[in-house]
Amino acid sequence: MNVEILFAVLTGLPLTILITLTALGIGTLLAIPLLFGLRSTNRTVWFISRCFVDICRGIPPIVWLFVLFFGVSVGSARLSAFAAGVIGLGLVASGYLAEIFRGAVKAVHAGQWEAAHALGFPATSTWSQVIGPQVLRTALPGFTTYAIALLKDSSIVSILGVAEMVFTTSQLARSSDLGIFVYAVAAAVYIGLSVPLGVLSRSLDVKLRKAVA
Amino acid sequence: MSEVLGPQQRGMTIPSQAITSSFPLDSPSAVLGAPKVQVSHLAKAYGDNLVLRDVSLEVPSGSVTAMIGPSGAGKSTLLRCMNLLERPDAGTIQIGEHLIDVAKGIAPKNLAALRRSTGMVFQTFNLFPHMTVLRNISLPQQRVLGRSSSEADEISHRLLSRMGLHDKAGQYPNRCSGGQQQRIAIARALALDPEVMLFDEPTSALDPEVGAEVLDVMKELASEGMTMVVVTHEMSFAANVSDQLVVMAEGRIIERGDPKDIMRNPQHERTRKFLHAVMER
Ligand SMILES: Nc1ncnc2c1ncn2[C@@H]1O[C@H](COP(=O)(O)OP(=O)(O)O)[C@@H](O)[C@H]1O
Ligand SMILES: [Mg+2]
Repeated sequence: MNVEILFAVLTGLPLTILITLTALGIGTLLAIPLLFGLRSTNRTVWFISRCFVDICRGIPPIVWLFVLFFGVSVGSARLSAFAAGVIGLGLVASGYLAEIFRGAVKAVHAGQWEAAHALGFPATSTWSQVIGPQVLRTALPGFTTYAIALLKDSSIVSILGVAEMVFTTSQLARSSDLGIFVYAVAAAVYIGLSVPLGVLSRSLDVKLRKAVA
Repeated sequence: MSEVLGPQQRGMTIPSQAITSSFPLDSPSAVLGAPKVQVSHLAKAYGDNLVLRDVSLEVPSGSVTAMIGPSGAGKSTLLRCMNLLERPDAGTIQIGEHLIDVAKGIAPKNLAALRRSTGMVFQTFNLFPHMTVLRNISLPQQRVLGRSSSEADEISHRLLSRMGLHDKAGQYPNRCSGGQQQRIAIARALALDPEVMLFDEPTSALDPEVGAEVLDVMKELASEGMTMVVVTHEMSFAANVSDQLVVMAEGRIIERGDPKDIMRNPQHERTRKFLHAVMER
């Protein structure tokens, strides 16, 4: 019986993971140009990036979802619920991740830039070989924290009818007399995903720290 | 101190006489030997803070210039202007064949050439913490000079052996002591075959005994004819290894000439006070 409930809840899991990873991917891809925009000495580029980040972060995810789902149409075609969901969550993520990356770049010791410059590294090598790897290390804890939050926030897409885990769970709750119990199972699954993720991130962080800092 | 070689004993191509006769300050062409570094009328301000005021200096090829002066005098800024880590507001910088006139703007190509011809060693080492010692020395050779990785590694191993650090090649920098890290940083800079080595207080972050290891390496480098500019508070190094002593205060070179002459008989009140303070320590 309990196993059946677990399996019923788990039918939504693949979509939950897919939404999380896709939104995280969109967010990361957007965050990288935003990072350079936020560091730009060109005031126009900086200002546009700053506005983009603040708007992405400042609007609640659910508003993004409604705007994208009900408000955006290309000709007669509207965004699918899934697309609106991952784009909305991706936009919010891009703002947060850009700030996480920016903080991580700032945390790189100024001497690292100076050494790279003094050695005559081209800018591409400075980023890819010297700064980038250190940024990844510093950004890892913040990035994982955001990924775990996003895993749970992906449930908001259920409001558009995407059959991710909370959606299947609430259907099950309504069609059976199990009530709150199904939600407890879903909660256990979320914890079962996020705790190992956190442990993995922390052990990776410790390993990287030991190897270098 | 007696084991330190004086400039006269180092088989220098430039007679030390030529270096000591380089006054007056505003006619740098008074020096006879071919200058390797020539800085003219350099100015630099941070806001209202005039950090360099019309500084001119030349460093003959194969010689060692020691730079001393109170904190905030502008020593680091002058050194960092020589490889354009700081951009001066005015003046010219010549390193070997490469001439930069700030007034004419700095083309990326010239900037790269200037950086390639200078090696810099920092007070805080600034090794790359996420790379092994070997890669710290090899990667710049590959990225800046385009050497193959096997060629670069061979040169790195040779330099590490010279520094007495061949067993550190596979380690990460944080596994090395401060003195070892600084020698690795020197090796990293030398691997790019610079024409001039710039040192900014290379031993200030080190215990005296450990600093001595680094100073030994620098003495050896000097004896091999490397052109060096060294900001330092190590007065014995300044006295016994350098060919030219430069005293800076408040953004100006207030005294310049034979190190022992200046130490024995400083012309400027500011120099006297500074030397007194340093000797007291
Ligand atoms: N990046 C900077 N921004 C603003 N002021 C600076 C900066 N770097 C140095 N200065 C100022 O320039 C002056 C000279 O500094 P510096 O060249 O480091 O002196 P020194 O190396 O002789 O101690 C100091 O007053 C210092 O505060
Ligand atoms: Mg300094």
